[in-house]
Amino acid sequence: MEKMARVTTALGGNTITGRTMFCHLDAPANAISVCRDAAQVVVAGRNIFKIYSIDEDQFVEKLNLRVGRKPSLNFSCADVVWHQMDENLLATAATNGVVVTWNLGKPSRNKQDQLFTEHKRTVNKVCFHPTEVYMLLSGSQDGYMKCFDLRKKDSVSTFSGQSESVRDVQFSIRDYFTFAATFENGNVQLWDIRRPDRYERMFTAHNGPVFCCDWHLEDRGWLATGGRDKMVKVWDMNTNRAKEIYCVQTIASVARVKWRPECKHHIATCSMMVDHNIYVWDVRRPFIPSAMFEEHKDVTTGIVWRHLHDPYFLLSGSKDSTLYQHIFKDASQPIDRANPEGLCYSLFGDLAFAAKESLISSDSNRKPYIGDRRHPIFFKRKLDPTEQFEYISSSSALSVFETDLESGSMDWFVRTAKQYVLAGRPLAELCDHNAKVAKELDRDQVAQTWTMLRIIYSSPGTVPSANLNHSLGKGSTSLPLMNSFNLKDIPPGIGNESRLERSKGESRSENILMDSSSTLINNDENEETEGSDVPADYLLGDVEGDEDELYMMDHENPHAEEQEYILPQEAFPLRHEIVDNPSALDHLQDKADSPHVSGNEAETVSLTPVESFSLISISHSLYENRLPPDFFSPIVRDMLLFYAEQGDVQMAVSVLIVLGDRIKKEIDEQTQEHWYTSYIDLLQRFQLWNISNEVIKLSTCRAINCLNQASTTLHINCSNCKRPMSNKGWICDRCRQCASMCAVCHHVVKGLFVWCQGCSHGGHLQHIMKWLETSSHCPAGCGHLCEYT
Amino acid sequence: MFVARSIAADHRDLIHDVSFDFHGRRMATCSSDQSVKVWDKSENGDWHCTASWKTHSGSVWRVTWAHPEFGQVLASCSFDRTAVVWEEIVGESNDKLRGQSHWVKRTTLVDSRTSVTDVKFAPKHMGLMLATCSADGVVRIYEAPDVMNLSQWSLQHEISCKLSCSCISWNPSSSRAHSPMIAVGSDDNSPNILAKVQIYEYNENTRKYAKAETLMTVTDPVHDIAFAPNLGRSFHILAVATKDVRIFTLKPVRKELTTSGGLTKFEIQIVAQFDNHNSQVWRVSWNITGTVLASSGDDGCVRLWKANYMDNWKCTGILKGNGSPVSGSSQQGMFNASLGSANTSLQNSLNGSAAGRKQS
Repeated sequence: MEKMARVTTALGGNTITGRTMFCHLDAPANAISVCRDAAQVVVAGRNIFKIYSIDEDQFVEKLNLRVGRKPSLNFSCADVVWHQMDENLLATAATNGVVVTWNLGKPSRNKQDQLFTEHKRTVNKVCFHPTEVYMLLSGSQDGYMKCFDLRKKDSVSTFSGQSESVRDVQFSIRDYFTFAATFENGNVQLWDIRRPDRYERMFTAHNGPVFCCDWHLEDRGWLATGGRDKMVKVWDMNTNRAKEIYCVQTIASVARVKWRPECKHHIATCSMMVDHNIYVWDVRRPFIPSAMFEEHKDVTTGIVWRHLHDPYFLLSGSKDSTLYQHIFKDASQPIDRANPEGLCYSLFGDLAFAAKESLISSDSNRKPYIGDRRHPIFFKRKLDPTEQFEYISSSSALSVFETDLESGSMDWFVRTAKQYVLAGRPLAELCDHNAKVAKELDRDQVAQTWTMLRIIYSSPGTVPSANLNHSLGKGSTSLPLMNSFNLKDIPPGIGNESRLERSKGESRSENILMDSSSTLINNDENEETEGSDVPADYLLGDVEGDEDELYMMDHENPHAEEQEYILPQEAFPLRHEIVDNPSALDHLQDKADSPHVSGNEAETVSLTPVESFSLISISHSLYENRLPPDFFSPIVRDMLLFYAEQGDVQMAVSVLIVLGDRIKKEIDEQTQEHWYTSYIDLLQRFQLWNISNEVIKLSTCRAINCLNQASTTLHINCSNCKRPMSNKGWICDRCRQCASMCAVCHHVVKGLFVWCQGCSHGGHLQHIMKWLETSSHCPAGCGHLCEYT
Repeated sequence: MFVARSIAADHRDLIHDVSFDFHGRRMATCSSDQSVKVWDKSENGDWHCTASWKTHSGSVWRVTWAHPEFGQVLASCSFDRTAVVWEEIVGESNDKLRGQSHWVKRTTLVDSRTSVTDVKFAPKHMGLMLATCSADGVVRIYEAPDVMNLSQWSLQHEISCKLSCSCISWNPSSSRAHSPMIAVGSDDNSPNILAKVQIYEYNENTRKYAKAETLMTVTDPVHDIAFAPNLGRSFHILAVATKDVRIFTLKPVRKELTTSGGLTKFEIQIVAQFDNHNSQVWRVSWNITGTVLASSGDDGCVRLWKANYMDNWKCTGILKGNGSPVSGSSQQGMFNASLGSANTSLQNSLNGSAAGRKQS
């Protein structure tokens, strides 16, 4: 409340100034009305009837009209109205059916003027004629409306709605003789004041009671109504039949509607229950209120614009016993907080994007406003600079950006999942196969990893096909895939970027980084040329049988590359090698007793290598002694962790399954389980049910394994006798026939068996699918219209 | 490369949210026109509206899908202070023949006294749960104890955040090492500087959600927040849409024995911060592997962000909402300039270097 605006409006000499303010009333208010000079407001309720003057900073109590010792029910006001012609004239509607007029010009303390006790039940509404001083209209719960001439003791005429209770009566501003009345049964009637016998027109406006109505201040043919059905409707009464031109859906039953002065399409509403806020709507945009006043703590019972020609000041009374003056500048505008955009990434890498049209129509080709398609152009918009609420661009454009197969989509994932072989063959073959799959999908890093795993974990005898590795190394010029950042590809990219950024004036450290990374590239390339020479040598060597030497060399290279993949975990690749080394050292020292650690090797190790070259020299010497695969476990573990952190859980799980016990104990159970559940979830997203099932089956985690066994119970009926089968095999006990026969080919079904749950007949998945393409009847000839889901 | 396929959404007011289902074959949109539409992808890739119905009596802010294991279930939340759970009815009817499906209201959650600004289903392994947050700063977590009965939801937790909430995100990790966690963003725009992102974690011992972390550096109104799909990572990645795009990593610090049972401590790092939208950022969304982040802002563009192997995040693509070239950039040469057609090819250089080179 600190930033309350102070607003000054000049209205032809009569200046209104003020701020958002409130005062406590002694009792809940039922209705308020404002004097025509906009300086005083009257508040009426069951236990209150007071006049306040509206000062600049506060409300000041001017007059208490509840006088006399004993409380009279006549003071229990349901409604109050201040005459817009005569500043001294007020009328109230009492809950006991009395209509009272008050004359403030009276010298006595008791200002009560006239008392009309004609209604039998609560009077809901009183209304003065806009131009005729002595004409007063009332509408009551008893279903009657009465017109009073204040110069006479009794009512001039009585109008019977012939329907239920009257909730509101309002004189038309345009037609001298016309008034509108709303009823609890949802009807609105138009009456001619001279013809009390019959209404001029009647129509059903709402579903349920119509609590209020208001004639438009300028466009005199418009009538707004609000009802318990939570709607505000605007009717064009100029035509023969009342035509609904706007409909606003609010969130609670509508108690009051008041057109906003000077703003043709704006209307203020408040609710009867639940909702304590006051909303101002632009009827052309019926879904979002253009402004909202949230001050009241209980139901708002009366709203009135302070001055007939000022749209910025709104007064309200509430059941929470407060009287508020609201300033438009302090209103909250829900549209400002409403999100104009929606964005969602799909499984396949497509992006759905919905945005407000005005946001995405680019500046260069922004078209002039042609007019909202929904509204005819003849509603010429009154230019009001303060009318901030935009109704024009109230539509969104929805589009889906589809990735094509080659680049960003998740196609690689699906194909990899489908083609990987995880079990059932020797390790070396599995690795080779999977490397080939990865290679075909241009995922060189993954392919190399598989190759290296094969080299590490399989016996030396099967090495030859390893040259796949090296051919890969050379051919890796294609762009990296979504998440396989290949170190060899990246550094040039980095180089470019940092060069760019340097031109933009970035810090020097980046340059240094770039330099170091480019030296790294050089190193890489060196190693690679070395490496790619090796297979040639090796093949030669194979012929020559100099196995020992070559074995060593072949391993040196993969090891170096292995390191290379682990690097990216750290920001500074070169360092990492150094850091990583001691762990290898520890491992070594654990095995210090084992005979294959020579003194020579220990010496090399003790020299902490500074460059990657020296590391190679270490591994060089290590390999000479044919370390067991165990030696690589920490590295492989790190590699798996790396893939997982990079979002490629597929690789982590696949390697985990393929290596099985070789690596299992290196990674704690919880992490493994996490990987499995993540991967299975992904597979299920892609509807790869068979593969997900296979993964579950192959997993070594207990928690994962039992996923398959939970809550799957099969109840099988014999397809011959339609009785439940016992759980011993597939021969029916009763009819001694094999139950699982394919109804199409009459062979026993092994594997995927699909059957209709209605008639128990079924067969091979493919056969049934084929059958159903041509016929919807059961292939067994039982006449059942089979249903498969 | 992305191909923009524009869809005649035919909503009568702003669309506030778009959401793909678990399998990426269905899409739901919600709008201020108080309706939700469901779109199904046909064989040839077109999206067809198969259902459109009035859901609320106010603007519908968000729509979200439940895991399909619970059926075809949607939840929506609205300005009318309610969140509603919807279920698609399977069965033969006239609707189905016309290619339309029928959705029925299963429950209305009416606990909020103010606009419900976000609704999200919890990760599947937690059961059928959903969280809502509202403008009065309360996060509510509901659970359907019987997954077969979608009309019974019990309010399990009420977390008071003290600030008007605008968005929530569940931590999707299925690891037993990570307790259930929910991040809440606030769009409170009062002048006092307060941290606008709070992270609540479920405590097994007290059986309550307690505040685990507050991202102190985020003090501007937050419009959207999203945890990346976890996929076996040991840490969490959180994207925040505020006046810029921010990406945080939350690394759980090993629980000390002394604080066993207490809340997890996190080592929070901001790994990226981009103001390329030059305006408010409204939405962030992760791809399925949590490696690419898409963000959209008041500039009407979608920008894609991706980290390289050194964890440097870079822009790898800019998509303009209506399929037209990004004005101000010099990429026009790469666009197939076919503005009027629905299918416009967009250049999206995936490695970012191409775009970067052009701009220099």
